[in-house]
Parts: sequence; C-alpha cells; structure tokens
Amino acid sequence: MLHALRQAKAQATATVAARVGIGGPVGSGKTALIEALIPVLQRRGVDFAVVTNDLVTKEDAERLRRSGLIDPDRVSAVEAGACPHTVIREDPTLNIAAGDELEARFPGVELILFESGGDNLASTFSLDLVDWWIFVIDVAGGDDIPRKRGPGLLRCDLLVVNKIDLAPHVGVDLDRMLADARQVRGGKPVIATNLKAGTGVEAVADAISAAVLFRI
Amino acid sequence: MLPLLRAIWQADAAFPSGAFAFSYGIEGALALRPDMSLGEFERLCAAVLQQRWASYDRIALQRAFRAGRDLDALAAVDREIEASTMIEALRAGSRRNGASFLAAHARLGQPLALKLRAQVKAGDCLGHIAVMQGAIWAALQLDEQHAALCSAYTVASGLITAAVRLGAVGALQGQSVLQALLPLIDALVATPLDDDAELESFIPILDIAAARHVHAELRLFAN
Repeated sequence: MLHALRQAKAQATATVAARVGIGGPVGSGKTALIEALIPVLQRRGVDFAVVTNDLVTKEDAERLRRSGLIDPDRVSAVEAGACPHTVIREDPTLNIAAGDELEARFPGVELILFESGGDNLASTFSLDLVDWWIFVIDVAGGDDIPRKRGPGLLRCDLLVVNKIDLAPHVGVDLDRMLADARQVRGGKPVIATNLKAGTGVEAVADAISAAVLFRI
Repeated sequence: MLPLLRAIWQADAAFPSGAFAFSYGIEGALALRPDMSLGEFERLCAAVLQQRWASYDRIALQRAFRAGRDLDALAAVDREIEASTMIEALRAGSRRNGASFLAAHARLGQPLALKLRAQVKAGDCLGHIAVMQGAIWAALQLDEQHAALCSAYTVASGLITAAVRLGAVGALQGQSVLQALLPLIDALVATPLDDDAELESFIPILDIAAARHVHAELRLFAN
C-alpha cells in the first residue's frame, strides 16, 4: 500500500527535464540573458526549450523565435492573464502544462527555461514549477535595489546583476552594489553580467549546469 | 458535508487551474466595445451563462461526470466539443485550460487525472476543460449538482475577474454583478437537462471578439 502510494506520488510529480525560472523587473535583461545563454548551452550539447510569459504581447516569444538562435517550435508562449506573478507562483499550472507539452514534443529535452513576464522585486517562482531559479536586476535600476531586499532578490538561487557597463553612466557604484547584493543574500551567489558583450554568461551557464544538469 | 466542501474547494479562485489567464471572450468584447456600461457588462455575463454555459458547457460537464472513469466515453465528449466549437481560439483555450486543470490534479496525485494526462499526451483524448472537470469532479466525489454550480460559478467569477483586471469594472462593481448573477446560476442549475440535449452555443459578439482577439497586438489573456 505504502509502496503504491509512493509510486503514485512519484508518477504525479515526475518531470523529465530540469526546469529553471528566470524572473526580474521589466527591462532588466531576462530575454537578453536567454539569448546569450542559447549559443553557450548549444555549444555544451544541452538539449533545451524555452517558455516565455509575456505580460501583454508575445514580444519576447517572437523575439526568441525570430532570433535564428533556436528552433521556433522549442519556444512556447504562455499568456499571464495580466498577472505575471500569478502565472509563476500562485497558479503555475499553465506553465507546468506548457513544460509537459514541450517534453512530450521533444523527448530528449533536458532543460526548460521559464522566462517570467516583467514584474517587481516581490516576484518569486513556485517550486511546483521550477527546480531552481534566477532573478535578474540591472544597474540602471539604481544601486539601492539590493538594499530594498525584495523577496525575488533574496530568495532566488542565483542573482544576476546586468548592464554593469552602464554603471559609470548612471552614477552607480558597482562594487558597492555587488557587495550589498552579496550581503543581503547571505552569501548566496551573485553574478555580474554585461549581456551585450557576453560578460558573465559562461558563469551563469556554469551555475545552471552545476545546479540542475549536474555537469561541473 | 464533505461533497459540498469539495465543491467549495474546486470553485475557489485560489485553486490553481490556469483559469485566471482566460477571459472567456471578455477581453476581445471590451476591445470592440470599450465604453461598455456596467449594465451591458452584466447582461453580457448573463448571456454567457444562458447561451453558452447552460446549453453547452453544462451538458458536456454532465456527460463527462456521468461517464466517470470510462475513458472512451470521455474521449467521445471531448471530440464533440472539438467538432462543435467554431472559433479556433476558444477550442485551443478550452484544451489549454483543461491541460492546466489536469496538471494540478495530476500533481496532487489524483489517479484519474494521471490517466487522463497520459491519454492527452498520447493524443487519445483532447482534454477540453468541461470534460476534464466533469470526470475529475466525479472522481473526487462531488455531488453532480454541486459540480454544475461549481462550473457555472467559476465561469461567472472568471468573467468578473477578467473585467476587473482589464480595468473595465471596479473590484466592488464586479462583485455587485457577480451577486446579481447568483440567482440566475441557481435557476440554470435547477433546470433539469434532457438526456439527449445537444451542445449549443450562440453569442455572436463573443465569437467575433474571440476570433479578432487572436490577431490583437495587445492581449493579456489567452482568449
């Protein structure tokens, strides 16, 4: 009886591919991070797909599909019903179903990236949906962002601080911003990126590989 | 009281089933009629309940409820919905909502949901929401009438929630509309259904709105 129950539970929650969330405010660079990761993951032989949660349009999904970087069929768009946080936290079932559908269509897929619609610092991913998640903020949002200690920034598995090249132009003390981020996160990882130049992308791919693909 | 409690559980908007991302055609209708008054909105909601839910969703729900664990019978109702829903966006939306509903119950370990999810994955079943609700709610031992109330209420509250999120009505205005719709839901559910009732739906403005919505540049909801 106990064995049967355990089997049913395992069957209920079993997913084939590792599921990674990428959240963060509008314009912080979530889509840019995926665009930068695609060639790196491809070079490493990772079989992956992407689910986007555009808030209003299908802009992000279409941007990835038209990028020429990835088979457009490997990009699914899930409408967020005006609630970008609901679709990844309170009710992630549309995203779970989209992931299941990608797994069914691409049997070898080992990683699915879920891009959240742009939200605020309070947005977090449900662990029903993802195994591990990244939160992206950007330097141009101000160096006080880490000190605001939003749940997204504090609870994510990896914090990415993007657009570091803009720091001198927007009056941000980058070293202090990164130190604040590490301090409020209690030592959990923080990676600084300039996605336009590719800075930090390999480190993000390394973190994903180590955390959910078990490749060091 | 347990069947009633289970119905409340399933009608609760906090139960994750993907329904929040569907506007039931309201987003498209508001794009066509951005100046819709509260009275017009209430009449539109009533029309959805009378001319779509009662004559279509309810019949599919009841057939699925009575089919129970008969997967072939469930697949037959599913195919009938697919064949009789003219607008592609509504067909696809119903399947996607059904898939989300199944995903939730499958994750909760409901045995029939696991079987149905496998059926949908294999292409043996399409997974329309009314069919999945009927089958799963029967498996959860809801009372048949409670299941119908649950279905009608979630449609009504879904319409209101979508309109509130779109800024078309205020949160409390929406609740006044929902409150006004409750006697209609009660009356519709109390009306007996013929065993041979056929699926019928006719709300041209919503069908046109849903068809236009697919091509809309800006859209918050899946349909």
